[in-house]
Amino acid sequence: MRAWWILPNREQKDDIFASDGKTVLPLRQILDPKLRPDGFSHGVPTEILEKCGPKAFAQILFAQRFPGWNGNQQLFSVSTPAGMDSSGRVVHLGLLFVLEPRERPGFKMPFGGLGKEDQAYAKALVDRMTKSGPGDGWAQSVRELSELPSSPAVRSGRP
Amino acid sequence: MMPMAVSTFRVFLLLTSFPGIGEHVVRLVKGALVWWSGKKIAVIGPTASGKDSFLARLKNQEIPEVHSNSPMGEKIRSFDVKLALSNRQVLDITCKGVINIGGETDYRDAPSGWLSVCKDADVIFYMMTVDDLSRKRFLKGRRIRQDLDWLLTALPHLKQGALIHILINKIDEQIESHTDYRAFAEQLAQELRALDRTVRNVLHPYEARYTGATLISMRDKQIYTRAINIVLRSVYSAFHQTAKRRKAG
Repeated sequence: MRAWWILPNREQKDDIFASDGKTVLPLRQILDPKLRPDGFSHGVPTEILEKCGPKAFAQILFAQRFPGWNGNQQLFSVSTPAGMDSSGRVVHLGLLFVLEPRERPGFKMPFGGLGKEDQAYAKALVDRMTKSGPGDGWAQSVRELSELPSSPAVRSGRP
Repeated sequence: MMPMAVSTFRVFLLLTSFPGIGEHVVRLVKGALVWWSGKKIAVIGPTASGKDSFLARLKNQEIPEVHSNSPMGEKIRSFDVKLALSNRQVLDITCKGVINIGGETDYRDAPSGWLSVCKDADVIFYMMTVDDLSRKRFLKGRRIRQDLDWLLTALPHLKQGALIHILINKIDEQIESHTDYRAFAEQLAQELRALDRTVRNVLHPYEARYTGATLISMRDKQIYTRAINIVLRSVYSAFHQTAKRRKAG
């Protein structure tokens, strides 16, 4: 399993950045944009944000899974809103996994190397994915998606 | 700072009357109204250039205070727009809403990114800012230039005859930070000429698809209304001239 944080673009840079928890580099160096599956989202789709409203942003988790990506590997991602940038846009923090065919994502990712603001969101995400019970419907649906047997691309965005 | 007696809009009018900035455009004749009706448009451009604000303006909505940085992969929405012109004419345009497409290069280069947004569009609006212009980000290797290079590679995959117009946003902010408007106008005219040359060179052999660049503000409604009228006329004018040349040739 290889995993990275997809970092919020708080400074409105031209590229999206990623981190393995220690070093930061452009996401395109990890995952060529041309190889990203059709429909791959770097964050929570605007439609979900609009439907849930700002008060529910902290609860939202949006996951995608693409089995059979790049041969027989899998791509799995989970994102959450992570505050705003300087112009008031909602930005997103995500976890991206490149997995072997029967591998499942491990959500205990280090986040000590992330920026202070990002660390709080990262900790919340890791805690929810590793410690929350079935009462957290969003986290539960992400776990269920990650445990499904391989099939065409599936997403989870609601409890 | 700008003297309080001079409004940003008045300075905008002065600027656009300066040679090299103001566009010589045809009156929006009946033919233009017919031409624009039902057109599909796409909006692309770097992060924070004002794409979402432009779409909000087109939809006659206030600019949203909170919006998303637009992760990709969502269904592209279409919506109809009625554009009220200064002479009480109304244009109906079908807009291809791209509110969910981000400006980061990741979105530009991904399969469900900019190309999927632009491929059915009749007119593509590329948004940048006056700051991008002043900082010459259209020079080789820099962000605007990379986007222009992308447009060149995308053009063969777009709708035949699709036109490209550049919107240069946030002119209001620049007006507010200048006091010597003549010097500012001269500088702008020079930069606009340099941009124009670059775009035509980069887009060759498709340079006829480029219909020009217009200074605009999404925040200042008066400037927006004035500028969008110029844009509608400019795009139609460029289309009309190309069609005439083709007929003559």
